[in-house]
Amino acid sequence: MEGNAVMREKLIVEGLSHHYPDEYTGMDIHALDNVNLKVTEGEFAAVVGPSGCGKTTLLNILAGLLPHKVGSVRVDGHEVKGPGPDRGVVFQEHAILPWRTVERNIGHGLEIQGLPAPERKRRVQEFVDLVGLTGFENRYPHELSGGMKQRVALARTLCANPVVMLMDEPFAAVDAQTRITLQEELNRIAIATRKTILFITHNVDEAAFLGDRCFIFTRRPGKLKATVKINLPRESRVWKNAVADPAFTGARDEILSLVREEVRDDDG
Amino acid sequence: MSAAATTFMAGRMGLDRKRMRGIGLGAIPFLVLLGAWELNTFMGWLKPVYIPPLRAVVDAVFTLQEGCSALGILGMHESCLFTNHILSSLGRVGLGLVVGVPLGIGLGVLAGMSRRLSNAMEPVGVFANAISGIAWVPLAIVWFGVGWFTTLFILLNTVFWLVFFNTLLGVRSVPRTYEHSVLTLGGNRWHIISQVYIPGALPSIVTGVRMGIGFGWRALIAAEMIGGNTGLGFMIFVSANEYKVEEVFLGVLLIGIIWMVTDRIILVPLEKWTIERWGLVWRPS
Repeated sequence: MEGNAVMREKLIVEGLSHHYPDEYTGMDIHALDNVNLKVTEGEFAAVVGPSGCGKTTLLNILAGLLPHKVGSVRVDGHEVKGPGPDRGVVFQEHAILPWRTVERNIGHGLEIQGLPAPERKRRVQEFVDLVGLTGFENRYPHELSGGMKQRVALARTLCANPVVMLMDEPFAAVDAQTRITLQEELNRIAIATRKTILFITHNVDEAAFLGDRCFIFTRRPGKLKATVKINLPRESRVWKNAVADPAFTGARDEILSLVREEVRDDDG
Repeated sequence: MSAAATTFMAGRMGLDRKRMRGIGLGAIPFLVLLGAWELNTFMGWLKPVYIPPLRAVVDAVFTLQEGCSALGILGMHESCLFTNHILSSLGRVGLGLVVGVPLGIGLGVLAGMSRRLSNAMEPVGVFANAISGIAWVPLAIVWFGVGWFTTLFILLNTVFWLVFFNTLLGVRSVPRTYEHSVLTLGGNRWHIISQVYIPGALPSIVTGVRMGIGFGWRALIAAEMIGGNTGLGFMIFVSANEYKVEEVFLGVLLIGIIWMVTDRIILVPLEKWTIERWGLVWRPS
């Protein structure tokens, strides 16, 4: 029973703390303090917190881009020691390579894995279609809109088939209309691919709309303040209905008040 | 074809027409100079010892090539003076590039990745860049004598440092997110170098190669004048000593023409196929 439960937990963070020296002043910054969280298989977990609460530090540690000294991070039972294809990351912006076409960006992970071209092409096409970029396979990123670029980034990560997908405010840089569309698209894609996702955002509505559960962080040093479960089947989530659904609005208001407690003192 | 693709193509064609007009405008100053030159010959303002007629410059080609066959050109037969000088200058530039460019890119990428290496190499690079190619000539002659080694040394000194510096700056300017994204896709150091640093630094590398060939070509001509026994620089120098002004003119014109052709035929298309296609340069719309 116990072993089975561990297997279903794809991402386990235990006692994670992190300090780093400030880039300019050299002063010690306590970014994360004893963070504990678990994300189960197929779950969509959102992480919300005020600016500077260490969300991005957490993501960089999980991705293996930033080494951690205190605590443990395990993905599928393996301790994280550096970047690896078991954790796919969708960055905020400017992360797809300008010198690769849409197709070659999406297939990049498979190319690195050494998958033969015909098989790769088939897999890539599947994800091109999934994110709605059919017909744009041979375009270069500079020929695409901001929203389309993020679709490419999403497809690239999915196509490499990671155990856990980490997303760092992926829709923060696109306009409000595009953001709403992308959120609904991501929800559909997450359901279709049954991916385990950790999604970082400072946008409360976004967290409540996308997440099965939402982790709320305190301000620095960031620690887990509360966990809010959103009791709304992901299949039924569309913005048009969500705004009038008490299951969504209730969770959103709860998250909002928890986050506001953290920013109130600063902003008056 | 989709509507978007159609406008895309139409935009392309408009651009080509604009480019043709640009080339037409660029030809005007040359035509004006050519006209003035011919007019001078016709009016007899400046004597042929100062400015020879265009006709004499063209004739100089045949004089220099007298007794040379097509096969002789390729074999660099001694009767083919004119083409021999061109080929030996081009050969030196080519050799300088074949050695200098990969070396500059290679060390530039490494220095772009390692603070320690760039800290070690930057001061000596600034020092070497400050000494113009020509200032090395007397020393190079002492070291290597008159000939190939001297000119190659001068050329390498310009090409290598310019390519090295520009590659270094290019690698540093590549956003870290590109590197991170390839690492999280499972990429290793080699993937980062070949798929992120080099393509990302390419605009800068092309600038470096361009400057390298440009400055290198000038330094080479100067080096050939002083420390050469073949090449266009040598040809100009010898002709001037023998008061063959038409040969001097021919050499000077060729230096400019060869550089223009290299730039337009090799570097500009290279830029178009890569950097412009990837949207890495700002282009006025």
